[in-house]
Amino acid sequence: MARNPIKDQVAIVGIGTTGFRRDAGGRSSASLGVEAAIAAIRDAGLTPADIDGITAVAEPGAPRPNQVAAMLGIPNVRHYASPSPVAVFGLVDAINAVFSGACDTALLLFSMLRLPWGSRSAAADPFRKHLGFGASVIPEMLMGAPAYAAWASRYVHEYGARREDFGYVALNSRTNAASNPLAAMRAPLTMDDYLSARMIRDPLCLLDMDLPVDGADAFVITTAERARDLRDDPVLIHAATVGLASEGDEDQLGGLSRTGQHVVVEQLKAKSDLWLDDVDVFFPYDGFTIITLGWIENLGFCGPGEGGKFLESHWDEKSGRALIDGRVPINPHGGSLSEGATRGSGHLREAVVQLRGDAGDRQVAGARTALVTPGGFFFNSQGVILRSG
Amino acid sequence: MPPSNPDPTDAELVDSFPYVQVDHDTKHFYRGWLERRLLVNRCGDCGHWHHPPKPVCPQCLSGSLEPTEVSGRGVIHLSMLLHQGPRAPGVDYVAGPHPVVTVELEEQAALRITTTLVDGPEAAAIGTPVELTWIERHGSPFPAFRTRGS
Ligand SMILES: [Zn+2]
Repeated sequence: MARNPIKDQVAIVGIGTTGFRRDAGGRSSASLGVEAAIAAIRDAGLTPADIDGITAVAEPGAPRPNQVAAMLGIPNVRHYASPSPVAVFGLVDAINAVFSGACDTALLLFSMLRLPWGSRSAAADPFRKHLGFGASVIPEMLMGAPAYAAWASRYVHEYGARREDFGYVALNSRTNAASNPLAAMRAPLTMDDYLSARMIRDPLCLLDMDLPVDGADAFVITTAERARDLRDDPVLIHAATVGLASEGDEDQLGGLSRTGQHVVVEQLKAKSDLWLDDVDVFFPYDGFTIITLGWIENLGFCGPGEGGKFLESHWDEKSGRALIDGRVPINPHGGSLSEGATRGSGHLREAVVQLRGDAGDRQVAGARTALVTPGGFFFNSQGVILRSG
Repeated sequence: MPPSNPDPTDAELVDSFPYVQVDHDTKHFYRGWLERRLLVNRCGDCGHWHHPPKPVCPQCLSGSLEPTEVSGRGVIHLSMLLHQGPRAPGVDYVAGPHPVVTVELEEQAALRITTTLVDGPEAAAIGTPVELTWIERHGSPFPAFRTRGS
């Protein structure tokens, strides 16, 4: 076993969200963030004065920790940081701060705005002109999003993948989003819809890409000991990690058989007492459908190149979605493809909702363990195993 | 930069490529473009190639690096067709998808350059042998590939 002294010692005790919309309408990132933060603090049964750590993820336009403290009137902040986007970078910062004693109770905040480079409506909004972020400025760059289409071409080449293999990921998300009132895109989707969708970066089409949205998620994190005084359904962080393979640029990656996802899987497996057979609900990232197939394969649900066939063979025709072994749903909230592009905060939030037993119509009966694997292949692969406390 | 200027200043170099960040690690690479030469960093100690240019050799950590002209021959390793994307002179997404290929150079496994293929989208299949050619972008030379007989 790898060293994991933090195992089950830190808990999520509060969640708050605005829900996600294709256009939240005339609101700043700070306005969305503060709404989610207040909801999360109240959900934990706390007040701003009880917060002494702020992890405010550095999404473009998102409020900085000092701005969060000022908006909420938090008097004494002992730890604060602005980690890069994608959920577990922020989660790891907050849980490590709590576990080390740097702070006792941390607010973890994700505020998302549609950005001009990824959304035509955002590009037309003068209040978003200042929001630059990681966009390729010439067509011949793989930096960021285009890398997934480029490596999807390799996946198709090496494994003979069908378009349907990607399509199952999109269909599963959309079916699940239909029962999530927080989701931005809930209209039903068929395989024919998927196959006839507009190509954007061939081999990936519009429905292979996540949906730019406005919204915010917030979490309150404290020690497991304190959590038991606050509520009877805390969610414990059992194991968490991020992973990076050495190639610094997307087009130099050695191959699909050695990505950041592989580093994450090795670490999680070595740190965790719980593994795939124990998982009740599974949250692979789906910023692009190829990423979901990667997580399914690299975690060991099936072999390389078999992700689409795995979904097909675990497809529940009646509900129109995947249920692993007839039991475990995949992204029951609709994921980034259909709830909206939360960069993993939505996956993390839904995991907490499921482990609390609060998911209503989409509740997984008796859910005790959730596997959440945000991020793609390159510089943001990460994973966390959560369990009900 | 017109060929009549054989020794452009650093400022002229940076101004020639407004769409990339030229710095002290990448300046030799982009100076090569002005001369229509593809210069890839090669380690003076162990001979390992790497790209994009780094301040040390990732294989042996030597700082003795030589921007070295490559043959320009390689094979398409990744291939996507952009139906929309960043604007660029000579790229018309309405007329047809724009191919973007990542070419593995013959000098070393996994040593790759990403750019476009001048033969068009139909020719951009993974595994296709290609060779270097040059096009213009914003008035400066820009490397591209064209197919070659295997
Ligand atoms: Zn060397």
